[in-house]
Amino acid sequence: MKKAKWSFMLLFVVLLLAACSSDTEETSAENDSEIEVEGRENELVVGVPGDPQNWDPIDTFLLDWSTVATSVFEGLVDRNLDLELQPGLAESWEYVDDQTLQFKLREGVTFHNGEPFNADAVKFTFDRLLGEEGAQGPQQANYTSIDNVEVVDEYTVNFNLNEKDPVLLTKLAGYGAVIVPPKYIEENGDEHFNTNPVGTGPFKMTSYEQDSKAVLEKNEDYWKDGVPKLNKVTFRFIPEASTRLAELQTGEIDVMKRVEISQVESLKDHPSLSIQEVGTPTVYSLRFNTEKEPFDDKRVRQAVNYAIDKDAIIEEILGGYGEKISTFQSELSFGNNPDLKPYPYDPEKAKQLLEEAGVAEGTEVDIYIPGNDGNFKEITQVVSYYLEEVGLKANIESVDSNTLISDLIPSGEAGHMYRQGWGGWTLDFDNTAYLMYHEGEHWNPSFYDEEVEELLEAERTTVDQEKREEIFMKLTERLHELAPEANLYSEVALYAVHDRVKNFQPPHEDRMRLEEVTVE
Amino acid sequence: MLQFIIRRLLHSILVLLAISVIIFFSIRLTGDPVTVMFAAGEPSPEAIESVRENLGLDEPLPVQYLVFLKNLATFDLGESFRTGLPVTEMVVDKMGATLLLAFGGVFVAMLIAFPVGILSAVKRGTAVDFFGRIFSLIGISFPNFWLGIMLILIFSVNLQWLPASGYDGIEYLILPSIALGMILSGILARLVRSSMLENLSQQYVSTARSKGLKEWVVIMRHTFRNALIPTITFLGIQFGSLLGGTVIIEQVFSWPGVGRMIIDAINQRDYPVIQGGVIMLAMIMVLVNLLVDISYSLIDPRIKAGGGSS
Repeated sequence: MKKAKWSFMLLFVVLLLAACSSDTEETSAENDSEIEVEGRENELVVGVPGDPQNWDPIDTFLLDWSTVATSVFEGLVDRNLDLELQPGLAESWEYVDDQTLQFKLREGVTFHNGEPFNADAVKFTFDRLLGEEGAQGPQQANYTSIDNVEVVDEYTVNFNLNEKDPVLLTKLAGYGAVIVPPKYIEENGDEHFNTNPVGTGPFKMTSYEQDSKAVLEKNEDYWKDGVPKLNKVTFRFIPEASTRLAELQTGEIDVMKRVEISQVESLKDHPSLSIQEVGTPTVYSLRFNTEKEPFDDKRVRQAVNYAIDKDAIIEEILGGYGEKISTFQSELSFGNNPDLKPYPYDPEKAKQLLEEAGVAEGTEVDIYIPGNDGNFKEITQVVSYYLEEVGLKANIESVDSNTLISDLIPSGEAGHMYRQGWGGWTLDFDNTAYLMYHEGEHWNPSFYDEEVEELLEAERTTVDQEKREEIFMKLTERLHELAPEANLYSEVALYAVHDRVKNFQPPHEDRMRLEEVTVE
Repeated sequence: MLQFIIRRLLHSILVLLAISVIIFFSIRLTGDPVTVMFAAGEPSPEAIESVRENLGLDEPLPVQYLVFLKNLATFDLGESFRTGLPVTEMVVDKMGATLLLAFGGVFVAMLIAFPVGILSAVKRGTAVDFFGRIFSLIGISFPNFWLGIMLILIFSVNLQWLPASGYDGIEYLILPSIALGMILSGILARLVRSSMLENLSQQYVSTARSKGLKEWVVIMRHTFRNALIPTITFLGIQFGSLLGGTVIIEQVFSWPGVGRMIIDAINQRDYPVIQGGVIMLAMIMVLVNLLVDISYSLIDPRIKAGGGSS
């Protein structure tokens, strides 16, 4: 009896080992072979992590919304994949005076339901955004510089402004400002519109199953000639990254959004898949509470900047997928100063500055980070090592991410340093700088500087972009010197694409453009 | 009997009330939904105030709770902050997928656990029993998140037999059901084994054997039937934890169920959806437990109606 038991146990172990080894062989064999895609002629399937659940432009703030909705809706102004502003539903625009912006609209454009696009549709869109309906959503606050929209004739509108807004044009290219169909919404109601969106874009949404998929079909009457080229695009919502990858490896999806750094290795030499990387405006920094000792002294803040080896962090933890930044913005942002170099890694200089500031060896520093970001936790651990090298003792506090963002940071209770990630969706430093450095702003519990306030005021009150750029150069120099944060990196986004997909260019800001894409 | 049922019903309502208090207040400890809504934008204090007012968040907490409770009594769970849709409708929409998955899990668990448990008991002490017990142990030890990803890698990516994720037909149900049912099958197999063993040593089994009945008839028709009673009760009670397990499985297999809806809602601080989803799941658990209690007392008259304190 006993003998039988042992022999079976042995057999079991052997079987288990055999199973493991044959598995790994199979995995590598499978990963190296080409992936066949069947039954999807002229159809593209994209795997995305999140379902925004509400397609109404004035109710959203999610990048996952823009990934899909950029194909459905359009603004008066269009920001292309290279982030240049160009005519969208408006053919041209000009400032009639400082506070009146006039648009000439494109003629002969129709919404997916056949409704005509004209000045009334523009007026309706902005009345809705700025009115009661818009007040319930997060988008209205972005457009408060608009007092009202006035219909001049069927294809001309005037935007009457309360104040100068140098960033208005770029804001009109997206999110809350995309044009919606008046009759359709009035007849069907807002709730219907939330899940049955209608716009003027190259594709129309023909079906949507929450948490499952959204199906888009070619808009045959699209105003741009010859596009879109695809007949059908399906977006599948797959939250788990390893599942998204599995769907790509089985040929069920053609494009995978948000590939994780740990997944890159397994895709690198694949015969039918390739990785596409693209810089994003999203930046990550450890910001200081500039009222808390010893970080009320700029020398101490500079010292921390010198103490951290950003190159090593990007190389070792981010697998090289990250860019160094000199201020709290990416190089894609208007207002970024290309002459300004990020603080170099110089621990000796750091020690010297700390000594000058009279910071004692072993001074404790509390760093607050969101608990749901494993990657950043690793980064913070490395940072704490660098700080120890120059004589500071870091305590890492991992807290709930929403609590950190909505309570601790605004109330100045997020320790000496805290992680802040920032999307910079307008791609203009104004939005970031004002919210981060203007006294009394929600996101700025502690920082104040007279000169910074003046520069912010100055760039806000002119629409002359050259002048603004000049001001931003001064502002960035000042901020670089004052070092209100230890700037770490701007994010690089990774997409995995099947080779049968042609002309796909990964978007800098999640807004996927699919007009020119074809499949083989 | 009627008195017993009424007493259990009242008990269930108390449980649900307690759950509603915990859910309602605990999610409000974790942050302000309005700030999360504005996370990417440029909020002015007035804008934040007006959104808060629109969502009814400017009322004091106890008032908000009473409104929630009053509406709950009529199955009105409010409207989602995110989508503006009635939460009841959203939950009912998703509940089908979740229940399907949960039943799939139970089915898989039974499919594995019954043969394994019976064989282990009948061949007690042999290699078969040893294997059966090892299997149960492995089943219990697997984290279902990991198991889900492994199943996808083996059966979808390598063998290409089954779809990796989605919700488009019966073949999509197989992998998530296995991932969900595996843990339960481990526990269940142990239970089947022990209650089979208990019954096999009973007098009636020897009697049946001495009548000259075939061994498998003795085992299946007599012993297994009796062993089934505690097993079914156990399954009823475990159904609750199975529903909990669907939260993770739905995430891995992008299954459009209530669990995934709740996770999304937590990330976006969509209070009505979180509390509505959790309350409805709790209701189903309480209901299943109630049914088990009642059916138990029907099957086994020794559990005296009215006298039970459990």
